[in-house]
Amino acid sequence: MRYRTQSISYWYFAIAVCLFGLQMVFGLLAVVKYLGPDPLIDLLPFDRVKAVHTNLLIVWVLTGFMGATYFVVPEESRTEIYSPKLAFWQLGLWVVAGLTAVIGYLFGWTEGNKLLEQPYIVKLAIVVVMLMFLFNILMTIRKAGRWTTTEAVLVAGLGLAALLYLPALISYDNYTISIFYRWWTIHLWVEGVWEMIQAGLLAYLLIRLSGADREVMEKWLYVIVGLVFIAGILGTAHHYYWVGVPRYWLPIGGIFSALEPLALFVMVAYAYTAMRRSGMSHPNSLALHWTIGSAVFTAFGAGLLGLAHTWPAVNKWTHGTMITPMHGHSAFFGAYVMINLAIMTFALPALTEHREGEDQRLGFAAFWLMVGGMFGMTLAFGTAGITQTYLERIMGLGYMETQLKIQVHMLMLTVTGILFTIGVALFIYDFFRKRPTFTVHTDAPAAEEVQPV
Amino acid sequence: MTKRHTRLFFIGGTLLFAAIFVGLTIDSHRQFGELTNADMITEDVIEGKHVWHRNNCINCHTLFGEGAYYAPDLTKITQQRGAAYLTAFLRDPSQFYSEEVHRRLMPNPNLNDTEIAQVIAFLDWVANVDNQGWPPRPIVVSSGAMAGSYGGDAPTAGTTSDDPVARGEALFRQPALACTACHAIRPGVTLAGPSLAGMAMRAEETVADPSYTGSATDAEGYIRESIVSPSVHLVPGANFSTGPGGISLMPGDYGTRLEDEQISQLVAYLATLR
Repeated sequence: MRYRTQSISYWYFAIAVCLFGLQMVFGLLAVVKYLGPDPLIDLLPFDRVKAVHTNLLIVWVLTGFMGATYFVVPEESRTEIYSPKLAFWQLGLWVVAGLTAVIGYLFGWTEGNKLLEQPYIVKLAIVVVMLMFLFNILMTIRKAGRWTTTEAVLVAGLGLAALLYLPALISYDNYTISIFYRWWTIHLWVEGVWEMIQAGLLAYLLIRLSGADREVMEKWLYVIVGLVFIAGILGTAHHYYWVGVPRYWLPIGGIFSALEPLALFVMVAYAYTAMRRSGMSHPNSLALHWTIGSAVFTAFGAGLLGLAHTWPAVNKWTHGTMITPMHGHSAFFGAYVMINLAIMTFALPALTEHREGEDQRLGFAAFWLMVGGMFGMTLAFGTAGITQTYLERIMGLGYMETQLKIQVHMLMLTVTGILFTIGVALFIYDFFRKRPTFTVHTDAPAAEEVQPV
Repeated sequence: MTKRHTRLFFIGGTLLFAAIFVGLTIDSHRQFGELTNADMITEDVIEGKHVWHRNNCINCHTLFGEGAYYAPDLTKITQQRGAAYLTAFLRDPSQFYSEEVHRRLMPNPNLNDTEIAQVIAFLDWVANVDNQGWPPRPIVVSSGAMAGSYGGDAPTAGTTSDDPVARGEALFRQPALACTACHAIRPGVTLAGPSLAGMAMRAEETVADPSYTGSATDAEGYIRESIVSPSVHLVPGANFSTGPGGISLMPGDYGTRLEDEQISQLVAYLATLR
């Protein structure tokens, strides 16, 4: 750690991984409800469990992103964070708002709008947290008077994420219109600005881990983010299928969704080339695995499996089946979980007593259990979805009867989900067994020359 | 290609496509009114939407195929089930499904009758939104078993033939009428409504039974009456009606939704089920 205030990120990461663990508890609770009579039906029915599962994901991934920013910005701008105190107040308010929402769901306090279930007061608190965060980061950069493209992309991504949350504050009497704007938040987050954040972190990690030339990396970073938006903005159209909007959104969705994977494949080529050119000799080989893995799994889960069902003629049959969570789980894991775990794994040696590359056996076990587990879960969702599409949508078998026929796939989902959860548990254990020590090393390997933009 | 060029590509591309997106959004707003029948969004529909949200329905069900995948899609539910059925269902869902058989139940949402009426009004508005004809084939909640309940597409001859039985069968399988969503034609398969296997014979027995109080005098007449005025004679069964002396849970509006000739065709078809 070169700057004292980078230690803020440790507490963000610590809270993020705890919430990640809690998310798994609710994921497992949800999947067993698919298997049979639910003894908890009156206490904790599926809808509540599912809302907690998805909301915890959003909360912890954003916590990780904010932590990553507190780690990256001091290094890139070569200064201390403007106000560490504000950063901790921000974290406190964020955790209180997040936990209030999650506990509220357990008691049925919800706005019942998928992924935006947060009660209005919590939504306002989230806006305040984002403003505190952006203020702190922008003041830090202003104070330093220098910034790099990498951090600019990262911070712009978070700024836009905050901006795009605003449509979620408005409600409409017309359900179709409320769907229309719900996707401005959800789609433009996960297939727009969050990918911008991911690309920024990927560039940072690749520059640090491979020593690749910054000018070249940042040049291509613009290309990636440009492609993300060119395809992603109009790609929103694939959420406008069959919801009561004009027909022209169908071909637009088909074409631009087909372009969406392009940016993700460029991302893989980007990571691969950086490694080929500059070598993989960095001692933190685990962070390298998470970084490259994130690019590859994103291309698979978000790119390929997204493409598998975004063509309107296909989506007409698969829409609203288990095909959707197949794509959802693998895409979120590849793009946002893995990049978070990559930056944590990269930053941890600087924030704890452990040295770079020391004793990574547990970490690798966690890596392979999660990657393997998620691959199995993707297959389980996928086979369930294909069976469901065929029986229910094409043959016309009832929903309830079809669900009985896909029980074996849900059993596979349970088993692979347990493997994944063991991986998560190992990651959390590995995280906390390293005692945090925030020593500042000014003699750390000199950063390569940064060109002010 | 330098970093300046790629930055220009990023900023220019983003702004261009954002502008197109905003343009299309404005155009969509011009069309929302007509596509979604915005003039039909009454107080009850709006309140029903709030009931839908408050009870977190979207985290088990889907609407327009969006939501969670733990419970059936409800986009067209009001075209498959009448208000009487949905009301009885929402009062106590556990009466309609068996946890033993389906391994899954809907928890009782504890809605009062006003809320139930409102959420049904909301769902009925949803069912009539012009959503490019999705789903292409009805998604049914329950079909009993595969064969015989949903019998595949109507024979193509049914739409061109002059034979009333063939035309009646085509009507019976027509998605918009949704007869097959509740009635199987295989014996012993009970969906939301009774199986229609042996319909002709049971119609004869019913008319001959002294306890029958309707106005039909023969099997055809009874079948016609059961379509047009389903509450005149209630078929025994816990979930077919609100109980003796009550009303049938079958939609009561087929008499107005169908032409007289279409009803005759349906009767002709159903009278062949022996």
